Amino acid sequence: MSKKNKIYWFEGVTEKGVKALLSDENSKYKWLRPQRNRRVLVVLMALGLISVAMGSYWPTLKTNLKLSDGTLVVVYSVTAIFVIFAVLGGYTLLRISVRSIADAPDELLDERQIKVRNTSVRYAYYAMGYIVLALLSLMFFGPELKMFQPEGNDGSYLVIATLFTYASMPSMVMAWREQDI
Amino acid sequence: MLLPMSRNPEEPVYNRIEEARTSQGLSRQELADKVGVHYQTIGYLEREEYSPSLVLALRIAKSLNQEVSELFSLTQFKKGK
Repeated sequence: MSKKNKIYWFEGVTEKGVKALLSDENSKYKWLRPQRNRRVLVVLMALGLISVAMGSYWPTLKTNLKLSDGTLVVVYSVTAIFVIFAVLGGYTLLRISVRSIADAPDELLDERQIKVRNTSVRYAYYAMGYIVLALLSLMFFGPELKMFQPEGNDGSYLVIATLFTYASMPSMVMAWREQDI
Repeated sequence: MLLPMSRNPEEPVYNRIEEARTSQGLSRQELADKVGVHYQTIGYLEREEYSPSLVLALRIAKSLNQEVSELFSLTQFKKGK
């Protein structure tokens, strides 16, 4: 008998999905449980997010590639798509590594897990505050300091990276801090 | 700066959950299912890294057929008692 799978739209999880991750029934993801592995994933995710955020500035990097402008645009575009998908994969693995506790609603968690989730969300809130402050400072001082002046920078990569960071920060904090998940 | 580990900084609540559980031949998972929490939470409780709410303490005591005062204490239990 299959019970209806409740979807939590606001949290972005499903009842069956969270319960499956909490129950250890899928041993495929056991390698993600040790804190060391989770911390490696957090570092890789952070590097991926920084890469996406700097996406607009990739064309300004000097390379030894002797390619035509048209080919370079294709190379940068393909690389950008690859990095964004890698970050998306990292985000999925990160959520699995913390059993979706960082995103799950109260009714699917016990009291300790709720406490752990709330603490992670609180730290993520502080971290996002500092990140937004840093971005605003860059916007304010950036042009004057002539730090970044790439052509055609519409800020889309920065927006994508910020959205990914916002979504993954609670899981990143939890994956880093918790000994046992 | 590294964030501190999630150890409970509050006054610890000592307990004899592991002793009572093993004497009844229950695994962590079985006790967790009876109480309605995740098995990792039983582990955290037994290692005294998490202090339960009153409701959870009462549920654990009921599941192990013991009084709350027999299972939980603000002072360390004497060995063999």
